[in-house]
Amino acid sequence: MNPPSATTTTQRPLARLAFHSTATCSAHATGYGKCILATYTDVSKDACKEEFARFAKCLRDAMGRK
Amino acid sequence: MLRSLARLAAVPSGSPNPSTLGPFQVFDRNAKRLQKDRAALREGSRTVDYVRDEVADRMMERFMDIKRTFGTVLDLGSGSGHFTKLLEPERAKKVIMIDSSEMALHRDPDSEFEVQVERIHGDEENLLQIVEPNSQEAVVSCLSLHWVNDLPGTLVQIREALKPDGLFLGAMFGGDTLFELRTALQLAEQEREGGIAPHVSPMAQTRDISNLMGRAGFSLLTVDVDEVNVAYPDMWALMDDLGAMGEGNALLGPRRALRRDTLAAASAIYSALHGNEDGSVPATFQVIYMIGWKPAPTQPQPLERGTGKVPLGDVL
Repeated sequence: MNPPSATTTTQRPLARLAFHSTATCSAHATGYGKCILATYTDVSKDACKEEFARFAKCLRDAMGRK
Repeated sequence: MLRSLARLAAVPSGSPNPSTLGPFQVFDRNAKRLQKDRAALREGSRTVDYVRDEVADRMMERFMDIKRTFGTVLDLGSGSGHFTKLLEPERAKKVIMIDSSEMALHRDPDSEFEVQVERIHGDEENLLQIVEPNSQEAVVSCLSLHWVNDLPGTLVQIREALKPDGLFLGAMFGGDTLFELRTALQLAEQEREGGIAPHVSPMAQTRDISNLMGRAGFSLLTVDVDEVNVAYPDMWALMDDLGAMGEGNALLGPRRALRRDTLAAASAIYSALHGNEDGSVPATFQVIYMIGWKPAPTQPQPLERGTGKVPLGDVL
């Protein structure tokens, strides 16, 4: 079953964040996700700080570029 | 009286249960009504009917198993009438649709229904203020009870509204619904911010429903669970669609919006933890179906204890 909707406009800031977090920065997102996956039974604050910093930087660059 | 006072007092969000009178308030009913109104007015409102239509269809299978025809059926929390649209005139002549969202109630024109419909704008939690006790042949409810604060009280009201031997058939989200989203958001908040806040509603468990139905005084209970699994391109599409369905967060209490960093983190975690091989992400909607009857002397009753004639040992 697939939803017929799911629009990907690049207008709204949140929609752009959605696009960049899943497409532009997917490699960094995967890196962060893998780190969480390795520790998800006992996650503490900043457990994957470095991975997220790389992901966030990629997002910031992408969002700034428009 | 006390209950309605408590409810009035609880309407402004920010202070849940100020005087703890009446049932515990979990959901902001007013916010939910506004969400549903807005959702029904959105252009793409019909494109996100897929979950409700699917569950209405599965509810109809259960309804068709009941060999009885009804004069009127009351559709409680009908939305735009997902279940009622599937009803055939041979099974029910007329349907009364009740929903707290006026926009959702009037979204679809009468021509889409095969049965005669009457629409009443009213709060599902105050059913007995809308209909007389002992007046209904059947009450159905398709995916609305999961936003009710006072579920035990609402079930009692449904039983009261029914005539003896009247049918209640309901479907509500429960248990594991959206567990992928819940866990992704929790892990993201925990790792990014060092603490978690509720963003996905608490849900009733199957065993709770059996108990509540029994406690509300229904007899001949049938409760079963089923899942609707939907694949989305990513977490953002799921959240967009939930919003468009009017199923956004409506929890009472101090709201803390999710930070964008946390949302991005949750999206990455959702894909890593739950993602499908093709890159899409699954979302589980667990649906609890319940059937109960208002007790009547004509219904099959269990025999008195000790009246058995055949020793059980002979049968086994």
